Amino acid sequence: MITVNYFGNIAEAAQSDSETLEYNTLSLAELLDLLDSKYAIGKFPFQVAVNRKIVSKQQILSLSDSDEIALLPPFAGG
Amino acid sequence: MERFQRQIILPGVGTAGQNKLKACSVLVIGAGGLGCAVLPYLVAAGVGKIGIVDGDRVEESNLHRQVLYTESSIGVLKVDAAKQTLQQMNSTAQIVAIPEFLSEGNVESLIRSYDLIIDATDNLEVRYTLDKASSSFKKPLIYGSIFRFQGQVSVFNYKGGPSYSSLFPKEEKAVLNCEEAGVLGTTVGIIGMLQANEALKIILGIGEVLSGRLLIYNMLTNDQQIFELGGQSVAPSFNSRIEKVDLINPELAFAMKGILLDVREVGEKPEIPSGFCHKLPLSELESRLGELDKEREITLFCQAGGRAIKAGKLLKKAGFSNVKAIRGGARDILNLIKNEMSKTT
Repeated sequence: MITVNYFGNIAEAAQSDSETLEYNTLSLAELLDLLDSKYAIGKFPFQVAVNRKIVSKQQILSLSDSDEIALLPPFAGG
Repeated sequence: MERFQRQIILPGVGTAGQNKLKACSVLVIGAGGLGCAVLPYLVAAGVGKIGIVDGDRVEESNLHRQVLYTESSIGVLKVDAAKQTLQQMNSTAQIVAIPEFLSEGNVESLIRSYDLIIDATDNLEVRYTLDKASSSFKKPLIYGSIFRFQGQVSVFNYKGGPSYSSLFPKEEKAVLNCEEAGVLGTTVGIIGMLQANEALKIILGIGEVLSGRLLIYNMLTNDQQIFELGGQSVAPSFNSRIEKVDLINPELAFAMKGILLDVREVGEKPEIPSGFCHKLPLSELESRLGELDKEREITLFCQAGGRAIKAGKLLKKAGFSNVKAIRGGARDILNLIKNEMSKTT
């Protein structure tokens, strides 16, 4: 099971702060494609963290069970 | 020094630390919600010189979160109203009110004479300008920003550490500022306080500075998470976005004047008469991009749609912007052609 945490306007688009996906293995690119088709996240600027470390969205990375992914958009309010 | 006694006795502060605070100058960009939280704590702690940059005047709708201002401040320049309150807190602090908006034109002259910069703005454009200048002048930039009930804090350009634009490369995508998005006073209060705390740590040389790390604070759950920077996507160009290819119905594609492109391999059935479409197999697409006109609308199809989307992503990466894929495939196109023929005969 992979946990995805959403922040800022992406949490709003996903209508949730967090969800778990029933995958044992999945590549980062596949996950982002999947989330884009669910929530159209492609329209937001954001970075991706895997287990609290920010990684490149282009990195070829296979996610495994118990990984925690975070989608981090910039905030602008002040 | 009597007024600072309770912080001087702290380990890591002492008289030496208090002198560092006195000798330090901090420039706060923005005297809104974040600025109103940052400023009084810096002034009260004994920071020697504080500049405040903001061209706005106090409005009634600011008062629920911008706690330096009172009802009588409405209509007054924020920097003047803030200076008046802050000077009452500490008459020995040098407070410089700068009633301007930060821009590319004034950023260098504004930040030049300060040791530390605090980003308390609500504007992405200004943030990039500030980041660029503070990076080239090697001034630490203490970033804070909020979205509804969440806040972000980080320190950029600190001792050669990462910049804001390396974390969030500039992109042409809109993000709401708080006027449109709504904000509680306590949210900007907490985030501003965290920024002030980073400033004091940097000046005093204590603790771990939030450089190379992004703190996200969720006020509704009290969750705090720290993310390590380092591997983030760097290119601000199309590489850092997920390329998405829009799908359109075959009827619409057929009616358009652009290029209809068959990306199936040679010999796949059903054959589409070449008068109705161009043919460029996916396997050769990358090496034959020069044959396509970037200015024209390109609609892709294959057998069922999979390869058309793949080809679309490839084209978008190569700088083609006007690219769509057909929902469906060659069979749908052929039916449309047959319909068209039967109409004309």
